[in-house]
Amino acid sequence: MNRVPSILMHAVLAAAVTAPVASGAQRGADADAPPPGPVRRMPDGTPDISGLYSANAGGANYGLEREAERRFLTPTSRGVVVDPPDGILPYRDWARAERIDRERPHRGYDDPTAHCFVSAGVPRSIYVPSPVQILQPPGYVLLLFERMAWRQVPLDGRDHLPDTIRLWNGDSVGRWEGDTLVIETRNMNGKTWLNEAGDIVSHAQTTVERFTPVNADTILFSATVTDPVVYTRPWTIEMELRRRDDEILEVACHEDNQDLGHLREVRDAWRREQAEGGAAR
Amino acid sequence: MKDTGRWIAAIAVLAAASAGTAYAHHAFSAEFDPNAPISVRGRVTEMLWANPHAWIYIDVEDPDGEIVNWAFETSGANGLIRRGWRREDLAAGTELVIEGWQVRGGGPSGNARSITFPDGTRLFAGTSNPDAQDD
Repeated sequence: MNRVPSILMHAVLAAAVTAPVASGAQRGADADAPPPGPVRRMPDGTPDISGLYSANAGGANYGLEREAERRFLTPTSRGVVVDPPDGILPYRDWARAERIDRERPHRGYDDPTAHCFVSAGVPRSIYVPSPVQILQPPGYVLLLFERMAWRQVPLDGRDHLPDTIRLWNGDSVGRWEGDTLVIETRNMNGKTWLNEAGDIVSHAQTTVERFTPVNADTILFSATVTDPVVYTRPWTIEMELRRRDDEILEVACHEDNQDLGHLREVRDAWRREQAEGGAAR
Repeated sequence: MKDTGRWIAAIAVLAAASAGTAYAHHAFSAEFDPNAPISVRGRVTEMLWANPHAWIYIDVEDPDGEIVNWAFETSGANGLIRRGWRREDLAAGTELVIEGWQVRGGGPSGNARSITFPDGTRLFAGTSNPDAQDD
């Protein structure tokens, strides 16, 4: 009795998930962006952006720049870079070479998220394919990521931590500029990747994120990254966050991370090949 | 009737094609070999309901008559829950045909692209990164 409806459900699912991917014709916010409308507000008039959100990320977790072709087992990146206007990240030459190298299979092991590091970093935690719960207790904004990480953002105008303290999610300080929540983050540890493709940030990364509610259920999110070690100029990405009627769930990533063993085997095989090649020479 | 109602509700929710929330935490192209498509048929020994990915274990008879237990990666438990799966849906002994891509290095492990019952009915798996379809 149970099996029949279950099978029916999965048939429906199969149809739902094989829908075509977005064409990639537009960078930044998606073409089907919800229209502007009244936003929710706290009793003091501050925008109420609390809730569970998913990013309309356009494949940012698989590449920030627009891609012409879909990669194996990943979506085609729509391209979320809105500045520079050409959508191309302003990499320094060494960094572009490193970015390309990170796409080689043996480098997959190097992405900290493959190791279940709970923080994907800033701003990646926003656009990984897991939702974020935003809370607004007095004096703070809290970002609770389903990957079981969080960011605590004080709004009291305090200084950042001393430069010697380096963190996976950095040190964030926020403020409201009109209806826009602005969060400045420094003190990054330089170990995070910006996505699975390996877009790069270093210890010099600083980030300014802007959360602007455009209607009751949509936030326009942007992040401007400045990192002179890696890039020749600051750059900005943009996407929508959409409120969902849902709750965050537990993600015990270390529970059964069989993937890391596979990725380590790929890396070790590559290392053996390199060593054997070196010995042959 | 209670179960039927639950599934109908799940269909309604899922047909709305909500934003994906699967837990993709690593580069799939680094782990699985695009040049090694595979198709196996066998019986489920276990549905491992876990994060960051759930795994379907299936006994497959190889050409020499030996039984090899294959592991196929699906979405994580949270992604499956949100797509309407329940851990009891795939009972041990269920016969399946699984197509996908083998792990690099050639072990009995893979990424499930599609799963079907012997009558051809498709059981959704997507890849282990179904969010890739709708992100």
